Amino acid sequence: MVAKAAIDAVRAAVASVADPEYPDLNIQQLGILEDVVADRSSIRVDLVPTIMGCPALDIIEQDVVAAAQASGHDVTVRFCMSPPWTPDRITDDARKILAREYSVAIRPRNGVTSCPLCGSTALEPRSDVGPTACRSVEWCSSCRNPVEVVRSREMGQK
Amino acid sequence: MRNWQNIGEFEDFLDDGGIVEPNDDIPGPYRKAVFRFIEMHANSEYMGGLTERDWIPKAPGLHRKMTALAKSQDEIGHAHLLYMVAADLGIKTREEMVTDLLEGRTHFHNVFHYRVHSWTDQIAVAYLVDAAALASQQAVFKNCSYGPYKRILRRVIVEEGFHMRNGEEMMLLMARGTDVQHQMMQESINRWWLPAVQLFGPDSKPDDELLRWHIKSERNEDLRERYVQKFVPLLLAGGFTIPDPDLRQDSETGKWKISDIDWQPLMDTMRNIGPDSSRRISDAKRAWYDAEWVRTALDDATKAPA
Repeated sequence: MVAKAAIDAVRAAVASVADPEYPDLNIQQLGILEDVVADRSSIRVDLVPTIMGCPALDIIEQDVVAAAQASGHDVTVRFCMSPPWTPDRITDDARKILAREYSVAIRPRNGVTSCPLCGSTALEPRSDVGPTACRSVEWCSSCRNPVEVVRSREMGQK
Repeated sequence: MRNWQNIGEFEDFLDDGGIVEPNDDIPGPYRKAVFRFIEMHANSEYMGGLTERDWIPKAPGLHRKMTALAKSQDEIGHAHLLYMVAADLGIKTREEMVTDLLEGRTHFHNVFHYRVHSWTDQIAVAYLVDAAALASQQAVFKNCSYGPYKRILRRVIVEEGFHMRNGEEMMLLMARGTDVQHQMMQESINRWWLPAVQLFGPDSKPDDELLRWHIKSERNEDLRERYVQKFVPLLLAGGFTIPDPDLRQDSETGKWKISDIDWQPLMDTMRNIGPDSSRRISDAKRAWYDAEWVRTALDDATKAPA
C-alpha cells in the first residue's frame, strides 16, 4: 500500500506545476488538479483539462511527472472527462492575477462581465474564440483594450 | 485625458517609464510610429498563422496535427487582438489594413517570405524562427510604452514560448533520429538559419525613434548577438552544423562570431519580392476571399435576435 505521506508529498509537488499558458499560476490555482490517488503500489494524478483537445496537455503531463519524480515518486497521469472543468474552479487569487497580468476576465455564472483592466461593463463581443479555444475576445469601449474572457460551454455560456 | 505641451515633455514622460493609453492626447508622430509597428506585427502573425495552417493536413500524426491546429489558432488570434489595437489608433480601419496586406502594399516579417519545403522546415521555423520572434517580442514587451500593445504582448509571449518548447522537442527528436532524419533537419537549418538571424533587422540607427519612444527597448544588433550566442551552441550540441563557413569562436571570450550579413535578401522581403512573397500573398488573398461566407454567416448570426 502506498503510504499517505507519499500521496501528500506528490500532491504538494504537483500542485506547484506552472500552467504553460499562465506561467505565474499553477495547476491547483486553475482547478486543473483534481486528485492524487493511490492503489497498492502506484500513484496516479488526476487532472481536469480546461477544454477538450487542449494543446497544452502533453506539457502539463510531462511537468507533473517530472515534479513528482523530483519529490521521489513515479506517477501516472490521467485526464478526467468528469467532473467537467468550469471557471468556478479558478481560485480568487488566480482571478486577480489573470486580470492584472493577462487582461483576462472570468465570465460570472450570473450577471455581467466587467473589464479586467478598468472595471467597466462596456464590453463588446468580438469573437467566440481568440488565441485559445477557452477564451472569447471582447473590446472594452471604456479603456479601449481588447480583453479575453474565460467562459465555459459546460455552464451553457456561448 | 492626459496631454503634453510638446514632444519634449512627452519624451520626458516616456523616459520616466510612462505608459501611453488610448484615451490620452497622443502626439501624432508617436501615434503613427506605434501604429506602423503594431500593423507589421499583426500582419506577421496573420501570415504566420496561414503557414502553420498549411501544415495541419500534412503534419505526421494526429498529435502533431492538434499542435499545428492550436498554433494556427494562436497566431490568427494574436493577429485579431493586434488589429483591434491598431485600428483603434484611428489611422487605418481593420479592413484597410487587411486590404493593404493582401494587395502587397504593407509588410510582414522576412521569414514568411520563404517557402516551407518540408516537415523539418516547419520544425526549423518552430524552433529557430519562433525563438527569434520571441526574443524580439520579449525585448519590446520589457519596456513598451504603449499600454494596450504591452498587454497583448504579455499573452503573446507566453504562447510563443509554448510554441518554441514544442519546436525544441521536435528538433531534438530529429537530432536523435535516423541519419536520414538528421540530414533532413540539417538541410532545413541550412535554409532557415540566415532568415532567422536577419529577422532582427540591420543594426539600429543611432536616432531610431522606436527606441527613443520606448516602443522597442533593445537595439537590433544586441538582440541578434544574443540569439547567435544562444543558438550556435544549441545547434552544435544537436550534432548539426551552422551554414556559415566563416563562423568562429573567440578563443578568449568563447563568443561566436558569424560572417558579415548580406542584407539584400531582407531588403527584398521588405519590398515583397522575396523568394516566396508573391505566392504567399496570393495564397493569403485566396484564403481571405474563400472564407468570406464564414465572416458573413458570423456577422448575420451576431445580428440575429437572440
